[in-house]
Amino acid sequence: MSTAQTVSAIEAPSTATGIPNGKLGMWLFLASEVMFFTGLIAAFVILWMSHPAWPGAEGHLNRLIGTVNTFVLICSSMTVVLALAADQRGEMAGTRRWLLVTIALGALFLLIKSSEYREKFAHHIFPSTNVFWSCYFTLTGFHFLHVLGGMVFNLYVLARTTGRHWPQFRKRLELAGLYWHFVDIVWIFLFPLLYLF
Amino acid sequence: MPASHTADHPTRRYLAIWGWLAGLMLLGVALSELPLPKLTIVLVVLALSSVKAVLVGMYYMHLKMDARLLRLVALGPLVLILLALSVVFSSRLLHF
Repeated sequence: MSTAQTVSAIEAPSTATGIPNGKLGMWLFLASEVMFFTGLIAAFVILWMSHPAWPGAEGHLNRLIGTVNTFVLICSSMTVVLALAADQRGEMAGTRRWLLVTIALGALFLLIKSSEYREKFAHHIFPSTNVFWSCYFTLTGFHFLHVLGGMVFNLYVLARTTGRHWPQFRKRLELAGLYWHFVDIVWIFLFPLLYLF
Repeated sequence: MPASHTADHPTRRYLAIWGWLAGLMLLGVALSELPLPKLTIVLVVLALSSVKAVLVGMYYMHLKMDARLLRLVALGPLVLILLALSVVFSSRLLHF
């Protein structure tokens, strides 16, 4: 079998649905993740509706920091899709550059979030302080871990771009992008719920 | 149409979606500052968030161009969420 045939066989859809296994698997995984975050958000909303003064005077979060962090994630969603577009045009340097920018923006998001946590801890605000903060740290903590996971996935893909086996791994770039966009969508809902209302 | 022009087309679309996402985010922040009933603000801002999520899903995650099966996989949990939320909140929303 020639190299071209091998690459073609690897890239060809391998299911009866015509959708590559990896992509279908990622979407099913994301569907389960939607249910996971919905459970957490629904619990938050039910508790919120049970407390008319929610979150109370001590439940203040800095809107400017939240807005900036949301903007950072929106930018990272664009850069990861630009990495995919560059790869589809065969521009390897562009793919690497946009992936690197995505990872850097993810790191910036986590840095800002960490500084928010540090500030809360300095004011003796912990998950055990009250129900609002318990919800806040749970929701943002799980999202934090998902961003971290997305960064690791993107770093893994970035490391593979330098190898000669990239044609076999390029599908993972799309999968990493799908995961990253999901993380962005979760934050699109967490931001107003925690910072704006 | 020149090949380079065609290649740039998705990039321009991605940039336009980014503009919409940033604009809708700022609109949501501005609306939350207005002296409106809280329920109105919550519903409008969450509707804006839903529009942003649809934009990301359709254009950045390529659901608009992908197979119908993937759109169904993406919609499946949303239908379950709507059912669950309608049951949980139907009796409480009026008292919010």
